[in-house]
Amino acid sequence: MKRAVRAGVALLACVASSCIGSSSARAQADETAKNASPAASFSDSEIFGPPSDRLKLESVTTRITAFDQSGYGYQSQAGPLLGPGSERTTILEPITEIVATQGDRLTHRVVIPVDIVTAASADALDKYRKKPDVLSHASRYNEAGAIDWTATYKTTATTDVSVRSAVHLEEPLRSWSGSLSATQTIADGDATLSESLLAVFDWFDQFDILGFRHGRTQRSTTTGSFGVTQILTETTAVAVNYGLSVQKGELGNTWNSVPLANGKRGAEQLPTERVRHAAVARVSQFLPWNGGLHLYYRLYHDDWGITAHSIEGELMQRIAPFLYVSGLYRFHHQTGADFFTTLAPTTAEYRTADSDLAPLDADTIGGRVVVDVPLDARTKSLHFEAGYERYFRSNDLQVNVLTWETGYHF
Amino acid sequence: MKTALAFLIALSGLPACATVSQNRRARFADPMMSIGPRPLDAARHQKLYDAREGASGGDGTTAGGGCGCQ
Repeated sequence: MKRAVRAGVALLACVASSCIGSSSARAQADETAKNASPAASFSDSEIFGPPSDRLKLESVTTRITAFDQSGYGYQSQAGPLLGPGSERTTILEPITEIVATQGDRLTHRVVIPVDIVTAASADALDKYRKKPDVLSHASRYNEAGAIDWTATYKTTATTDVSVRSAVHLEEPLRSWSGSLSATQTIADGDATLSESLLAVFDWFDQFDILGFRHGRTQRSTTTGSFGVTQILTETTAVAVNYGLSVQKGELGNTWNSVPLANGKRGAEQLPTERVRHAAVARVSQFLPWNGGLHLYYRLYHDDWGITAHSIEGELMQRIAPFLYVSGLYRFHHQTGADFFTTLAPTTAEYRTADSDLAPLDADTIGGRVVVDVPLDARTKSLHFEAGYERYFRSNDLQVNVLTWETGYHF
Repeated sequence: MKTALAFLIALSGLPACATVSQNRRARFADPMMSIGPRPLDAARHQKLYDAREGASGGDGTTAGGGCGCQ
């Protein structure tokens, strides 16, 4: 009994001393703060130095992609009179991405793609350049380049505003585009809301199907979209997005042709307006064996009568801290445009034989190897990526895609 | 239209889902777990699909498809 009383007294004494101790410590801290408060309010710039507005290079990445396409389509004249004709083409696309920061709030991202394209272009048709022969001159080259600059400004700790402008140049086409977008993180960074508005203006040569040039024509595209990205669990994130595009003007390339019921070929005739809706859902799931799974679904509908479903899955496996591999499969199904035909009546108001607007199923299989090698303090890491994809369609089109990427992160 | 409406309602409710504290998001630091495509990957896929499928565009990217000349 005595022992219990002694223990209780000791406990009370202990609690009392800790209370006194903590209250005296608190008082002491308050006193210190009171004395020190005018001098203790250091700003970030006093601690880290004044913010610099100089550009700081964050990363430089270059990628070369080769597209090797073969197949046949009824819009091509590289074949029998009533088709289908060859859609053979090879595209080599070097692309460079440079990311730089300017101060604490501003990030610049510049992308410069260059396309070198054989065949399937106005170059193969142009009568004023050389002899018209769309069959044997289909191996002519066409070069195209673009500069795409996005500046992102962090207006608050949770809000970014981006302004993007781009110009695209190729022999028969000039294109300008600009966009304004904003992202805001909410729920302690668990969710991100995004909105964007994009406008594109294309100005390009108008050819007829015999290769004669008839001045210039144009089209415009305006796209609005918004989306939500949400971290659901420690290992799962989802994103959904909806977008609407309205296009007006010349919506074809002007040299596509259509086999006609009278045994000749005529020009493609398309509406001058198109309204497109697309909804996208993505899931990113971490897998317990140090892997990852990306799932993608896209629903599309437009007022030309095309409805499409696309699903994609990419399975990734980390082999080492600096290396992972992935395998990808995508399936795409679309209905054709209402006026798609492979033999049009001569009286049809709208007609197209473009194989891209036909009802079709498309499969893509592929894989890639990604290596990120940590380096010294000056260059934080080197990035390498090699990939291959094969795209094949139910209406006779196949594309092999080879990619090689190198990046430097400073 | 009903599908689109249902999608928008579902979209607006997503941020109300359970939150995950910042110190439990380490998995998402891995580049492999990025929810969106990297810009150069997106450019490659846009090149591959937009010039070959009439059902491209409309999702915040340049609307192409059906003319092969964007």
